[in-house]
Amino acid sequence: MPRKMLLLLMACCLLLSSCSVDGGLLMDNQERNIDLIVKMDHGDYWSTLRMGAEVAAKEFNVNLRFLAPPNEGDIQGQINLVNDSIQKHPDALLLAASDYMKLAQVTDRAAYNNIPIISIDSEVGSARVKSYIGTNNYEAGQRAAERMIHLLGGSGKIAVMNFVQEARNANQREEGLLDYVARYPNVQILDIAYCQSSREMASAITREWLDTYPDLDGIITLNAEASIGVGRVVKEAGRGGLLKVIAFDSPQETMEMLQDGTVQALVVQNPFNNGYLAVQYAVELIEGRKIADRIDTGIKVIDLENMLWPENQKLLFPFVR
Amino acid sequence: MKHFKRIQFIIAFSFILITVVTVLIVSFMLYNKFSNTAEDNADLNMGQVVEQVKYNLEMYVKNMTSIFDVVEETINRSPSYSSSILEEQLNSIMKTREDLISIAVFTKNGDLVVNIPKMEMRPYTLLQRQSWFNAALETPDQLSVSSPHIQNLFKTSYKWAVSLSKQTTYHRDGLASKGVLVVDMNFKTIDELSRQVVFGKRGYVYIIDSYGNIVYHPQQQLIHAGLKYEDLERVLTYSYGSYQDELNGEQRMITIKSVNPIGWKVIGVAYKDELLTTKSELNTFLLWFLIVVIIFVLLLAIFVSARISSPIQRLARSVKMMGEGHLNTPIPVSGIYEVEQLSRRYHVMLQQIRHLMDQIIVEQEAKRKSELDVLQAQINPHFLYNTLNSVIRLVEKGQSSEAVTAITSLSRFFRISLSKGKNFISVQEELEHIRHYLIIQTIRYKNKFHYTIEAEDEVLHFLTMKLILQPIVENAIVHGIELMADRGMIRISAKVDAGKLLFEIADNGLGMSRDALDQLLKNTPNSAQGSGVGVRNVNQRIQLHYGPDYGIQFESEIEEGTTVRIYLPVEIAQKEGEV
Repeated sequence: MPRKMLLLLMACCLLLSSCSVDGGLLMDNQERNIDLIVKMDHGDYWSTLRMGAEVAAKEFNVNLRFLAPPNEGDIQGQINLVNDSIQKHPDALLLAASDYMKLAQVTDRAAYNNIPIISIDSEVGSARVKSYIGTNNYEAGQRAAERMIHLLGGSGKIAVMNFVQEARNANQREEGLLDYVARYPNVQILDIAYCQSSREMASAITREWLDTYPDLDGIITLNAEASIGVGRVVKEAGRGGLLKVIAFDSPQETMEMLQDGTVQALVVQNPFNNGYLAVQYAVELIEGRKIADRIDTGIKVIDLENMLWPENQKLLFPFVR
Repeated sequence: MKHFKRIQFIIAFSFILITVVTVLIVSFMLYNKFSNTAEDNADLNMGQVVEQVKYNLEMYVKNMTSIFDVVEETINRSPSYSSSILEEQLNSIMKTREDLISIAVFTKNGDLVVNIPKMEMRPYTLLQRQSWFNAALETPDQLSVSSPHIQNLFKTSYKWAVSLSKQTTYHRDGLASKGVLVVDMNFKTIDELSRQVVFGKRGYVYIIDSYGNIVYHPQQQLIHAGLKYEDLERVLTYSYGSYQDELNGEQRMITIKSVNPIGWKVIGVAYKDELLTTKSELNTFLLWFLIVVIIFVLLLAIFVSARISSPIQRLARSVKMMGEGHLNTPIPVSGIYEVEQLSRRYHVMLQQIRHLMDQIIVEQEAKRKSELDVLQAQINPHFLYNTLNSVIRLVEKGQSSEAVTAITSLSRFFRISLSKGKNFISVQEELEHIRHYLIIQTIRYKNKFHYTIEAEDEVLHFLTMKLILQPIVENAIVHGIELMADRGMIRISAKVDAGKLLFEIADNGLGMSRDALDQLLKNTPNSAQGSGVGVRNVNQRIQLHYGPDYGIQFESEIEEGTTVRIYLPVEIAQKEGEV
């Protein structure tokens, strides 16, 4: 056996083995880019959702971009954001569509560009969406109506403050509400208004209602901004407690209104979970796992009685620090 | 199958087998030992860290208790709860501690007496339903520590708090009343104590109260939101100790310590795969070690076995060549010691064989030559011519009886010379042969010499090589007697001497010098004067046939004569018919 060849072989082996040991420390958990496009860049609901998403992003090593138009009515703004996002080609897109139909086109386009899309908060009219993560909005609407009718004792006149006309969640809540109210012939819906998720607009409309319908018994609001806008006017007018208000979501101002009696009950979603689960499932989707078509994050009706129950404390005030 | 019997294969295979088995066993033992140690260390380390957190918490609780005592004492001593001095004192206590949210005193009915910082109370506090309030009323002398809860008393942001509460005495205008003192503290310090603690990359500690409410958890929001889960029921059954559980398919090590006196528990959680990274690192290391060792040993084995077997193979090839008749094939003499020795010995042996073969060739040639010589001697024409001349002379002189004797002797002489082609004849025949020769020679040399032939009786039947005496006698006549002035004498005898057959031919002729003697036995060419068969030839024939122990000895003195002794082995002649 030629000795030189042998030595060479040995050297090769040693080299090979040392290389492979170094090579074994590769990171298999690479960073993923996920874009989160919601309806509005402010508001308690959205900031809590964002926090949930960010906690998950940190946990799952995701580079999260939070994008939102300045207000919920800015549908074109949101379409532009989705288009921009398609340009960047993230690994997944999480979309809370402001308009069921108008966002459908751009959603299809994103799907066509092989970007997996998960709908959160409110659905979009595209069959290419992988999953919906959020509140069961129809049920939320029903629960609001149920509580209102209970408070009114089965008869009365109510108004509904919805937020964006073509938003899927707005429509579903309204539908659920109307379907429930329809069972009670003595309950009359005087008006359904859309405040475009603007507190000011909600307040203005409420003032109009108070003037127009002096016999108004209750107002149901269908999102956080609407709730604040309505609550402020009711309190201002000194009608707190006389006029029943069922509000939506739990920003601190609404919590105060609940405690001072302006608002009788809150239909509370789980925005933190919406955000967290959206990112978590997006990661699972990217990793090629199958996820459920619909993931319901639950709702709760909170009133003075149960607001300090330990489990509700945790829901209402998720942030300990 | 032949392949597996090869020495190279056997050595390499056993080498590798032994090494791999040894390395495997050692690796296995090391792995077990190390992983056990790693596990024990991880356990111990975790226990110590959790103990430290527990200790810090106890210190913190003690600290808070003493602050509570100070607050209580301040309120007790104050003559009036509404005095600005009390407010100032309480405010200064508040300022020293970042983790105090509020201090408040309530009447037993739940009405606010005093609170720091000054804030409006919420209208709907459900005070009587709050655990800290009830606990203070139920155990008046004992400090109660509440579960974490949202402090909903005052119109400020909603904060998670732990409430320390106790029944206390306050004074209103000098009158002592009983009330409930509550000090709310946030989780700042507890967070700080716990957040730094990590086990591995993901391991952590969390703290629960005695009812299983989470006081601190690094993922508290997720737990509150129901997105993460801790098996609190199992934790609550322990006050001290550690166990292993499985969460989402991951093995976790749980270590629990209780915080005295408030009954909180510090729970350390470590992920086993992380804690035991050393284990997996060890795994990888051992695997690579094994691979490297095997490769190394493989190469070494191939190398060593080649070093051992290749000289043997070369030697074998040489031997094979040799066996096929290529005697001049070179023998390799390098490699390991044993093979080298073997090669050397073999080499020596081979040389010996070559030498012997050469010798055989030389001897065969010599034998053939001497036989030719004998053949020639049998029909020596010169001798015949001389003898016939002598006979003619006798006849001319009319000495017919002598002529008859001469011709008879010649006839007898040739008859024995030929002996039907036999090479060996009896001593008797040989003596007969020489007697006839001497008769002829006496006639030829005109009685220039006498001769006697003596033999012991037993000797007569011994075998001898034929025609060995005639050249000696011829030599004695030609060199010893012919030139003598006097009448010569030749004595021939045959006897047994020291187990050997001995012919002795003694003359009283001129004798020979030492040089001449030496010449005689060495390389003298056949004497032209002689019968044609030299003395040397006789000696050569004897030694070629019987070996170096036998042959011719000379003894000679100038002017005294020469004695030649021929030694032969004793061989009994076969019966006439068989030879």
